[in-house]
Amino acid sequence: MIGLKGILKVIDNSGATFAECIRVVRAGQFASVGDEVVVVVKKSRTGPNIATANKVKRGDIHHAVVVRTKFPLRRADGRYVRFDDNACVLVNKDREPIGTRILSVVANELRMKNHTKLASLAPRTV
Amino acid sequence: MRVFTCYFCSGPVYPGHGIMFVRNDSKVFRFCRSKCHKNFKMKRNPRKVAWTKSYRKAHGKEMVYDKALAVSAARRNVPVRYDRNVVATTLTAMKRSADIHAKRERMFFKKRLSGKKSQQLAEARKLIGQNVPQFAEKETVEEQSGEPQEAQVVSDEEYAMDEEPAEAVKVPVAATKKRKNKKSRGEGAMDMD
Repeated sequence: MIGLKGILKVIDNSGATFAECIRVVRAGQFASVGDEVVVVVKKSRTGPNIATANKVKRGDIHHAVVVRTKFPLRRADGRYVRFDDNACVLVNKDREPIGTRILSVVANELRMKNHTKLASLAPRTV
Repeated sequence: MRVFTCYFCSGPVYPGHGIMFVRNDSKVFRFCRSKCHKNFKMKRNPRKVAWTKSYRKAHGKEMVYDKALAVSAARRNVPVRYDRNVVATTLTAMKRSADIHAKRERMFFKKRLSGKKSQQLAEARKLIGQNVPQFAEKETVEEQSGEPQEAQVVSDEEYAMDEEPAEAVKVPVAATKKRKNKKSRGEGAMDMD
């Protein structure tokens, strides 16, 4: 349940670490796993060489796809899945990821919602 | 469809029940109900929470390793070509090993609780001595001098009623299936003099 002002952890290697949701792209108040969201980069990775290698900077506005939510997700067999935090992956207008790697586990719902590229990049889907 | 086991209490998690929690290191925890989920969120260790299976196994309340089940565990994941006879023997073997395992668990339980008989007898004697004046312990003279006065006041019917409380108090202790004969044992103790 990511809505306006919701903070998401960015789990790709685009350079951002935290992003704040400013718009949920689909109709409705909240975004769930697999939904697209417009975010502002609140924090990016710092360091001597990292800053130049970052693809995004603080204050940039990007689209992102929510990949993990703390709010339980209902699966078709009636089971609920809950993650430890809210996370997203930054994407461009064509829904392609800006980063090249995804760093931790993502939800399986991405496959169902046509984000197969993200699902395949992830080290683990649950 | 698969029936998982609850991380906290080791009970079965059927589809449509419970919550699956995925930690950021990809470790999956399944819970059968919110009770287990909430205990987990409180960071309780199931091995220290008395009503869980893992506590019972860690503290020797239940059998941990049983040969009857271990036999089937070996070479379990090899698919075998379907053979009607193999299926029939497997089904009977499954039932048989489950029966054996159940029997062994009952024996384990019996053994675990067996050392208490002498202690329970002593407790029963003491209880009877307190409530039924005729069967009071003859070691202490003070008891004897106190109780005969009461004996004169109480009628025969009330004596009979007095005996029942002693039994009634004993019953909860002996209420389990395994110790049905305990009740008769209690009566035997009362008959002793």
